Amino acid sequence: MRNSWKVAKWELKRNMKNKSFIISLLLTPLLFIVFASFPTLLEKLEGEPDSENVTVYVKDELNLFDDIDSLVKSQDLSWKMEEVTGDSKKILKEIESSENQAYVALTDNAVKTGEVKVFTSNEMPDTFSSEVQFLQEPLRQVKFDQLNLSPEVVQSITKGIEIKSEEASTQTDSGSLNPSDKQSADDSSMERIIPGAFAGIVLFSIVMTGMMIFQSASQEKKEKVAEIVLSSVTPGDLMQGKIIGYFILGLVQVGTWLLLVVPIAAWRYELPVMEYLFVPELLLLLAISIAGYLMFAAIFVGIGATVEDMTATSNFQGIVMMLPFLPLIFLGPILANPSGIIAQVATYFPLTSPSILILRLSLLDEWPWVEIIIALVILLASIWLLMKLAGKVFKTGILLYGKNATPSEIWKWLRY
Amino acid sequence: MNERILKVERLGKSFKDKRIISDISFEVHRGEIMGILGPNGAGKSTTIRNIMGIMYPDEGSIHFHGNSEIPRHKIGYLPEERGLYKNVNVMDILLYFAELKDYPQKKAKKRALEYLEKFGLAGKENTKVEELSKGMGQKVQLIAAIIHEPELLILDEPFSGLDPVSQEVFKEEIKELAANGTAILLSSHQMNMVEELCDRLFMIHRGKKVIYGEMEDVKREYANFKCTIIGDNPEELLRNIPSVHRVESKEDRAILYLEQDVHIPTWLRELPVELNVYELIIDRVSLHEIFIDIASDKNMIVKEGVKYA
Repeated sequence: MRNSWKVAKWELKRNMKNKSFIISLLLTPLLFIVFASFPTLLEKLEGEPDSENVTVYVKDELNLFDDIDSLVKSQDLSWKMEEVTGDSKKILKEIESSENQAYVALTDNAVKTGEVKVFTSNEMPDTFSSEVQFLQEPLRQVKFDQLNLSPEVVQSITKGIEIKSEEASTQTDSGSLNPSDKQSADDSSMERIIPGAFAGIVLFSIVMTGMMIFQSASQEKKEKVAEIVLSSVTPGDLMQGKIIGYFILGLVQVGTWLLLVVPIAAWRYELPVMEYLFVPELLLLLAISIAGYLMFAAIFVGIGATVEDMTATSNFQGIVMMLPFLPLIFLGPILANPSGIIAQVATYFPLTSPSILILRLSLLDEWPWVEIIIALVILLASIWLLMKLAGKVFKTGILLYGKNATPSEIWKWLRY
Repeated sequence: MNERILKVERLGKSFKDKRIISDISFEVHRGEIMGILGPNGAGKSTTIRNIMGIMYPDEGSIHFHGNSEIPRHKIGYLPEERGLYKNVNVMDILLYFAELKDYPQKKAKKRALEYLEKFGLAGKENTKVEELSKGMGQKVQLIAAIIHEPELLILDEPFSGLDPVSQEVFKEEIKELAANGTAILLSSHQMNMVEELCDRLFMIHRGKKVIYGEMEDVKREYANFKCTIIGDNPEELLRNIPSVHRVESKEDRAILYLEQDVHIPTWLRELPVELNVYELIIDRVSLHEIFIDIASDKNMIVKEGVKYA
């Protein structure tokens, strides 16, 4: 174990001193931020000059102009309102020949038929058609007034009817229809999603670092250092050291990213990330992601020891490298139904179980403890088995110079 | 006899059905250079890997100072297939190897600088390994093998790929280490180097012992006289000369391998008068030729070996 730590320390130091690692460490969150904020930035660049210039001509037969004007101001719409009277044809012609202009006729007839015509120029901001919908409210009010409805009736109509589907089980827990409960449900889903997303990032990053294990093991072989190192430590020590070293490296990576991204996310989206992040559930989620790392690390370190030339890797090794992305196949069905049969199967299948568990636990309000425990037991057993197998492959593979091992050779080592 | 450091007894190893080495026994003593010779594929590296614990023997035993536990940190090892991590500093990698051997970092650093200076690499300690030439890299590998002051140093083909100047540097260093009490086990197929360096040698062929003993004894026993005659002679005539063990002839050049106890002046007097001699050279069979003989299965030495065993 002491020797493993030496190897781990070395792998850590070697990478931390490597310029390209440092650059990618800092660049990744930067790229992330850029990609996250780029679309909104672009939208602003596109949208601003247009939306400022919308001129809305209102033919007001209903005396609503002031109401609307104040609504426009309160909703912060970039409209310039102008009241017009008389012939609409002249105005329509003008609108047709210019940009960003609209003509709204608020007439008795419009209220009666329930259809308000809005004429616009050819060039209009994309948002205008949805913005203009707010006129519904004052117009409906006018209609109610004309019909002489009492405020109670109006309220009853405007509330509308909401259809809510709910599982029978939640009904037995507590009545959850009052608004304060709804509020807390929103909160708790955030509480789940943020730690889940965090654990997901941890898993993703550690699996990516795990791929560096693959490279490292393969490099050890290619650069023929293995034998010198193995004259001092056992193959087991070397393998463990690599797994531990890259695990810590992964944590360093996540730590750096979070340090850079969390404050920005908290500031931009005004999320109390920290508050949601440090909840007890996080511990289980982290444990799952660490288990996921150990499993993939075992696979990668074993396969890495069989590959000397990355460019000549056979399909077999290529397929193994794709394994961490297997859960993506199940993503759709699970998002649609987080408790469905596909979700359950993917939870029990060790290669998909870490990421699927994290995903499901973030989606589900009620954690299926029995499933979690079964999945963890399967996962731990697989880790144990894979580590054993990886040890066997690593021991032989790392000293086989000059060629990549074929699947049949690997199979022989496993049985040996 | 010096203190015995390493004792290998009746070592055997097979891969699947193929027997790689069998019944290999030898010892290495403090302050001596012991050479393992043999053609490619004879089992030298397998023997060494078994000693280093990189492979486990199927049979036989290995003792270090009389213990079957091999203390890896007291052994220095320069493997045949060797390399260094590419994108790290020379000093970093030397310190890492020293750390793996539990050697104090401070002392390791001092020794590393000393050796770099000695091998003409002064000022290279912060250079990336990938920027070194091949020869420089091999020097760094040798430093890595000896940085922790090992009691036993195992060198597998230390001279392969070295230019003559570097070979000389390595040779001097190996001699010096032995003089300072390090036990050295050296495998090579460069006979001139072995002849110059080794105190004792173990020759191995097809995984079996062929010759084992002091260099001087081996030379005396196996390096018999040979007579090279240039001139057009029928092979029949040459073969009938007394004390000739074997004749090798090619065009007008014939080499007569003489029996061990031949007395040269008497033998010369007994040469047939009809012999056509343009040139005649008498010298001893070199270790190199013994080696070639074994490697090409001419069996001369094997027979002799059996006789003397």
